[in-house]
Formats: sequence, structure tokens, C-alpha cells
Amino acid sequence: MTLTEPAIADSEAAPGAGGATAPEPSDEAAAAPSILAQPFVTSDAAAVGRLFVLTSLLLAVGTSVVGVLLSLGRTEAVAPWDLFGGFNAYFRMWTLYRMSFMLLVVMPLLLGVALAVVPTQVGAGNVAFPRAALASFWSWLIGAVIIVVSVLAGGGWGAIDGVTGNESDAMALTLLGTGMVIVALMLGAVTVATTVISSRQTGMSLLDVPPFSWSMLVAAAVWLFTLPVAIANLVVIYADLRGRPAIAFGRAESPDIWLQLDWLVEQPAVYIMAVPVLGIAVEAVGAAVGARSSRPEAITVIVGLFGLLAVGGWSQDYFTAPQDLRDGLVYVAFGLAAVLPLVALAGGAAELVLRGTKTPDRLLDVRMMGAGAALKLLGAAALVGALRVIEPLDLLETTATWAVFHGVVVAGLIAGVVALRNWSHELQISPLSVVVGRGAVALLLGGGGLLVLSDLISGFLADAPDLMALALDGSAALNVVALAGSVLVAAGAAAAAVGAVSALRTPVPAGEAA
Amino acid sequence: MFTTGFKFFFGLFAAFCAAALVYGYTTGGNHVGPLSLGWKGGVGDHIGYGVLVALAGVSLTISLVLVSFRDADAAAQAHLQNLAEVLTDQPVAASFWPVVASFGVGAAAVGLVLHPMVFVLGLAVIVLSMVEWTMDAWADRATGDTAVNRELRNRIMAPIEIPVVGALGVGVIVLAASRILLTVSKLEAVAVAGVVSALILGGAWVYASRPGLGRRLVRVLGTVGALLLLIGGVLAAVAGEREFHPHTDDTHEESVEPTGGEHGG
Repeated sequence: MTLTEPAIADSEAAPGAGGATAPEPSDEAAAAPSILAQPFVTSDAAAVGRLFVLTSLLLAVGTSVVGVLLSLGRTEAVAPWDLFGGFNAYFRMWTLYRMSFMLLVVMPLLLGVALAVVPTQVGAGNVAFPRAALASFWSWLIGAVIIVVSVLAGGGWGAIDGVTGNESDAMALTLLGTGMVIVALMLGAVTVATTVISSRQTGMSLLDVPPFSWSMLVAAAVWLFTLPVAIANLVVIYADLRGRPAIAFGRAESPDIWLQLDWLVEQPAVYIMAVPVLGIAVEAVGAAVGARSSRPEAITVIVGLFGLLAVGGWSQDYFTAPQDLRDGLVYVAFGLAAVLPLVALAGGAAELVLRGTKTPDRLLDVRMMGAGAALKLLGAAALVGALRVIEPLDLLETTATWAVFHGVVVAGLIAGVVALRNWSHELQISPLSVVVGRGAVALLLGGGGLLVLSDLISGFLADAPDLMALALDGSAALNVVALAGSVLVAAGAAAAAVGAVSALRTPVPAGEAA
Repeated sequence: MFTTGFKFFFGLFAAFCAAALVYGYTTGGNHVGPLSLGWKGGVGDHIGYGVLVALAGVSLTISLVLVSFRDADAAAQAHLQNLAEVLTDQPVAASFWPVVASFGVGAAAVGLVLHPMVFVLGLAVIVLSMVEWTMDAWADRATGDTAVNRELRNRIMAPIEIPVVGALGVGVIVLAASRILLTVSKLEAVAVAGVVSALILGGAWVYASRPGLGRRLVRVLGTVGALLLLIGGVLAAVAGEREFHPHTDDTHEESVEPTGGEHGG
């Protein structure tokens, strides 16, 4: 035996590549780690995917509860600063809600699904870098813990009423936790993208990969184009905050920190979460009615176009006058054009329904309902986004911004529910209960719809820019509608989490899953 | 075409070349000296530049050797062994190093804000994890047999791991035990040392006389004992050392403030 004996091919190739076969694992190798040790040592991407899905859904419940409290603060029932113990605390939770929904809920949820599903779809035995996938999950989780703990300890992404020394430290921790979470998500994205690019079955071209895998490849590319810009922002802010002025923009005593990062949760960058939703929706509709698209290449182009329109690192207006960027042609064009691929994709989904079996049970399938709900919310978000960039409507710095955000994140949550139902075999779990699935989809659709609607109308009613919606006189009824929406979203997230926990408690062995 | 080993060491070669250039130009190198190995201009600090260039040369040599001998090339090996099919898909062995690396990154992040020692500890954990992870990744692809792969990995890493882990273990035990003995009173310290010594001796005697004793039981008892010692050490460190009364020439005993490492009596 020498050190030059056969090994995996240069590109860490998939099984089946070049007529290759997998060797029989030895008895020792077949010995799986114990159930307690598995989350810490597993090299099975499906197991890592399950960890991502479960943890992000649990965090979705916590985040949506924060959303309920924030909505309560918008009503006249409780003053916002009384609710959390001060204006700074309210601002902290307000920013946490947004960052958490994006970085701790929707993106990891869809990444977890991808880690389990993509290798199967492209004919690989596992993801390209299974250990990197595990590191991605744990780095993300540790970063999430650092973020939550530091925000609760007085940190967060800036403050409005000034900070003490301890709060400055906590803020620095929040920034580092955010960076860690972003890097972890990028690591997961690299793993998924590499799997699609280099571990495909022999003879499968990139245009042949199923829509979800393609959408994840596009999403991963967009994440890798966008998230490093946020890392650069974090480095500048951190240097400023620690007393070594970099550009001296990140003053801790003002919300400047948030203003350097808010582009991440605003259009067009907010759409980076939604790219995989397109792939999930198309595949779920197809699976529900038992049909395949007659124009798969059109779906490929549509998803790619939407991904292109989601690249958003360039759209931050902190370093330039807002009117220079956000009234500019490119920003307006991106905002308007984002509607087109969604309309086209809705057409593609409708074609699938027309070609497929249209029995009532299929049309009321959780996957069908969920895909429709996700596309509706995403379409509504893109439509609001298009209205938002029309300058005469004066919606830019209003709650219309959050109408887009809410539409996208709730669509992402619904897509997660659909994925749990559609790919239970790949995730090696029992299928999500129909009742729970339908309930979660209905609650999320209702809640998301109310949030989009109330935020949009509040934006129209605002006399002046008011992102936090704290000075909206005469919109009490709308604030109550927003509260109802938040409650429904929280209930939907809880239903999804309960369904996922229940499904994960009865895992399906990999052999049976295949 | 290019084997895994070649890519790794060629990457190292490129990194060392870049480091040598940066180091050369930032330490006084001029013209094209750092680019031409000092032929046309100065290279800056000779020692540092020389070390980096030497490392680059070694990496390049190893990479060329590896690609020449087709290290980790499944097709070449299949040809040598007259195999009909190429074995390419080795199962990746379970490894806890990714998790350790993640905790290292977390510790470094927290340490960056809270305490430099935690930051350094985090960095050390990251470096350790990277080395171990790299070895695991190489071993996974070394042969077509996972058991042999594990053996190969252990043959290289065990001579490093066992002494290091042993030294760390002894260090932790000594540190924790010393904290406990320095916290309790003199009489209690003697009693604690006596009881613990007797327990260790008794346990070892039982284990030696009854080899059939379950390994799991021994492992559990060892883990529980180590945890108790660690917890006791942490609690003792938090409580602080007892007051010491050293002998002096003028007086028999004098109360002094406790200082680290002082042993009175």
C-alpha cells in the first residue's frame, strides 16, 4: 500500500462521473456516529441540511414574535419605547427583526434544503465539500448566538440615543457575529454551487439541471457577488467603532451603522433570498400536477434574469446622496424589471397546471397551494418594489420598503414549507403533515399579505420619510392590520416549525429514501 | 490531470512567492530585486526573503514530485492495479474538526472584543483545526479503503497528537489541581490530595486486576473525574487562593496579600 494509491478525482467528482463507481464501504467505515455525536461530526449533507432547516425554523418563530411586539409598538396600545425599555432598545429589536429574518431564517432555511436536495438532483452522492457544509452550519449557529446575545446585551446595528462603553463592546460583537453568519452562508453557498458545477452526473449539462438546483446555483452566485460587500461594510464600521477611524462614518451614537447596512434588506439586494423560491415553486407545481415544463430553458433564463436583478451591492446610498443613486436610471430600471421574470415564471407555472392533471386533490396539494402563495407574495413584493422606485409616488424612504421585505421573507418561509413537503425523501424525514402544511401556508399567506398591504398603504399615507412608522398619524387602523399580519406570520412560522420537528422525529433512512 | 497533492503544494508555492514579493518590497527591496531573486536590485530583508523563497522552492519541488508520481490520481492507480473501473467516490469520514474550527472562529470573534487571550486561543484552535482538517481530507482520498485511510492518517498524526494532547491534559490537570489545593486550607489540601491519590491508585489497581472491566465504564468514570477536576479548578480559581503566612527573620508569621505562584508555609 502506498500513498499514491487511487483516490478521488481531481475535481472531487461525483459518483458516476466518467464511468466511475463507488467502492463498498468497509464495516468500520459503515459504523455511523451516534445520534448525539451526529450533529457534530456528520459528513452527510442531508443531515447538515436538516440541522439548518430545523434551527432556522425555530429562529423564525422567535423572529416573528419580535415582529409581533414591534407591530404592537406601532399601535397606540403601547408606546414603542415602553415595550422594550427605551428608544435604543426598540431600535435594536427593529433592526434585529430585519437582519434576523434575512440572515438567520430565510437564507439558511433555503440553504439547508439545497444541501439535502441538490446532490440528489445532480446525481452526486454528497455535496462537493461535506465538511465545509458542516462548518458552515456551526459557524452560522455560533454567529447567530453571538448576534442574539450581543443585541440583548445592548449591542445591535447602531443606536440613536448614544451608547455606553459596554454597549459599544456589545455592538462590536454584533458586527462580528453578523460577519461570521455571512461568511458561513457564503461557505454553504460555495458548497452548493460547486456541487452543481463539478459533481453533476456524466452527460448532464448545466442547462439540464432541475430548476431548484439551477436556482440555487444562481442564488449562490448572487450571494457571492453581494454578501462580500456587506462584509466590507462591516470591516469599515468595526474599524470606526473600535476607535481607529477608517472613514469615520460609523458613529456609534447614531443609527449610521444601520444606514450602512440597510441596503442588504432593501431592494434589489433583498431579492437574493428569493431566487431559490422560484426553483422551489416551479418544481413543486410540476410535482403536484405531474407535469414537466415544455420550455425548461425558458425557466432557466427567467431564474437567471431574476438573479441578475437581485445583485445589490452597488445599491447602497450611504456614501452618496440618496437622490444620486435611488433616483438614478439603473436603480429604477432594476426595480421595474424585477416584476418581469416573476410574471414570466407565473406563466410557466400556469403552463404546468394546464398540462398536468387537474383533479381537486392535486390542485389543493400543499405543494400547489404553497407554490402559488409564495409566487403571489413575491409578485406582490416586486410590484410594490416597482411602485417604490417611481419617483413621483415618494415611497422610497417609507414603510413601502418593508412591504417589499415582508413579501420576500414570507415567500421564502412558504417555500421552505413547500420544500419540506416536496423533498421529504431527500431530507430523509417523514413527509410534512398535510394539515400542518396547509395551515402554515394559509397563515403565512394571510399574514404576509396583510403586512405587505398595510406597509404599502402606510407608505402612501406618510407625509415624510418614516421607515420605522412611528409618526404615522391617522393610520391606527393600518397599524392594527399590520399587527394582525404579524400575528398570523408568527402562527404560520410556529406551525411550520412544529411540522418540521414532528417530521424530523421520524427520519427516513437514506437507503429507503432513495 | 493535476492531482490533489499537486494543486495543494502548487498553491502553497504561489502563496510563498507572493509573500516573498510583498516582504521583499516592504523591507527595502527595490527595482526588480524581489522579482529576480536579487539579480537586478535589492531584496530587502535577506533572511525573511530567503526563508520565504526557500519555502516556495520546496513547495514547488514537492508539487512536481506529486504530479510526476500521480499521487491521488484514481485513473493512474486503476491502471497500475489492472482494475476495470476507477474508484473515485470515497465516503468522507466523520470529523469533528469543522465544528472545532467554527468554535475557534467564534472564540476569535468574541476575543477580539473581550480579551486578547481569548482571541489568541481562538486563532490557535483555528490553525490546529485547519491542519487536522487538511490531513483528514488527504487521508480520505489516499486509497480506496477507508480503514487503510484511517490508518495512514493516524500513522502521520498520532505521533504529533498523542504527545500534544497528553501534555495539554497533564497541564490542565496540574493547573486545576493546584488551584484547588491552593484554595482550600492547608489541612484540607492534604486531605484532598490524599483522597484523590488514593482514588486514582485504587481505580488503577481495580482496572489492572480486572482487565475484563468494560471500556465504556472506564471511559465514563475517567470523563466524570476529569470534568469534576475541571469544574473544581474553575471554581477554585474564581474563589482565589487562601492567605499565606510565610516565615520571616523578624517574626514567625506575617500575613501578606496572596500572590500568584507563592508557596508559604
